[in-house]
Amino acid sequence: MIPEWLARNEQYTPRSDRDAFVDKSIVSILGLFSRFRSPGPRGREKLNINAGVKLASALLLILLLSLSHSPLFVVFAGALMLALLSLHRGELILRVLRVGLPVAAFTFVMLLPFVVRGNFSGPLMMTTKVFVSVSAVKLFASTEEWESISGALRALFVPQLFILVLDITIKYLLLLGEYSLRMLYALKLRSVGRNRNKTASLSGIAGILFLQSREMAQDMYAAMECRCFTGRYRARRVAKFSPADLVPLMIDALLLLVFFMART
Amino acid sequence: MIDLRGVSCSYDGIEALSGINLRVRRGESVAVIGPNGSGKSTLLKLINGIILPDTGSYTFDGDEITGRRLRDATFAKRFHQRVGFLFQNADAQLFCSVVHDEIAFGPRQMGLDEAIVEVRVLDCLKLLQIEHLRLRAPYRLSEGEKRKVAIASILSLNPDVLVLDEPMNGLDPKTKRFIREVMLSFIAAGKTLLCSTQDFTYVEGLFVRGVVISADHVVVRDDEYQSILADHEFLGHCNIV
Repeated sequence: MIPEWLARNEQYTPRSDRDAFVDKSIVSILGLFSRFRSPGPRGREKLNINAGVKLASALLLILLLSLSHSPLFVVFAGALMLALLSLHRGELILRVLRVGLPVAAFTFVMLLPFVVRGNFSGPLMMTTKVFVSVSAVKLFASTEEWESISGALRALFVPQLFILVLDITIKYLLLLGEYSLRMLYALKLRSVGRNRNKTASLSGIAGILFLQSREMAQDMYAAMECRCFTGRYRARRVAKFSPADLVPLMIDALLLLVFFMART
Repeated sequence: MIDLRGVSCSYDGIEALSGINLRVRRGESVAVIGPNGSGKSTLLKLINGIILPDTGSYTFDGDEITGRRLRDATFAKRFHQRVGFLFQNADAQLFCSVVHDEIAFGPRQMGLDEAIVEVRVLDCLKLLQIEHLRLRAPYRLSEGEKRKVAIASILSLNPDVLVLDEPMNGLDPKTKRFIREVMLSFIAAGKTLLCSTQDFTYVEGLFVRGVVISADHVVVRDDEYQSILADHEFLGHCNIV
């Protein structure tokens, strides 16, 4: 039989409390999800360039930058990076610069003692190198879906097991993220008044999440064993090249040319 | 009490609800029926203010539920106290270390006297017949027990509306029958019930009205529950039976 208080209408006026932490956590997890889940930037790009070629070009650029002592090559690489950035949407440019510029600024601050001693060119070169390298990696990550990135690593002969671990990590990040989001929603829906012990609720969520992740890991291990997993993993290497892939290859050739010309 | 007008919702550009019109009066018991992926859970989340409509409006007891309105903490908390939500996955709903604290969480939040909190907890434990689980850790319970604890943790808030997302999923027949009895007593107390379900065997006599959402995310029928269930051709066409 239903208790008497449950049959009545609740006369309740909530008191004020600070809920910023739960709200911010929800917003940040949602933001992370939308980045993982968004239907990928591929369709929006003008050129459909193979992810493996892109990754190889980015790595070549970083390698040449780190080897080069020539200001001419560093300036050329910087100009090239800005030119590449300008081909993308404003929102993507901002996303890349938001990572590239602070890292470059931090590098410059770290190298300020050299500037004080009168060495201007060294810190300036180093800062530009850092900016270009970080921007290249961010640009690659921002214009590729997670699946393509692991595909690109596969094309570059990165060990399959490492890629499998990376793929599983991304998958479980999403699954546990979804789980924690549901728990945060449940906490928010039931946080209908003043919570004197917010940390206890959040540590409860963290604890359950840990137990859940352990259970998931055990289940996955069992499932892999059931499918005869012995620690080795082989996936099909798919390398589809298109005429658009010639563009980064031509840029690579140009980079190499300038690199060797600047050395002489 | 609940009034949705032309509500559409999407996740990352993928449509989940399209042009939904739905009015639920106080004391009504409504079944939300539809195939997988039709948007039932999205509709229930929207009614709880977890997500907001892209277009259209949602009014709860005369107050339009908008992002701005929910940023008013006092309003949001009163709203959440009045609408209790049972998640499809009970695990996600239980975050306290023992069942007692789980059920006491809401009443304690409301600032009720500890003696009243204790009365509510014991009443809910008794109502759900889980007194023996009082000091157990929620994550160590069986699915049926977890579901009962989750329901108890919502009922202790004394909500006006109970929103249940597939409450019978994964439960044994005895637990299903028991949860049906609890829902019946909730309705008998004049409260409002909204429940998504695909299991029609154990919800007999529970609903007066049914709302059918199609795979295209639109309401294709809003009718008496029994007449919907009797229309096998329609249910088959909508991929429900």
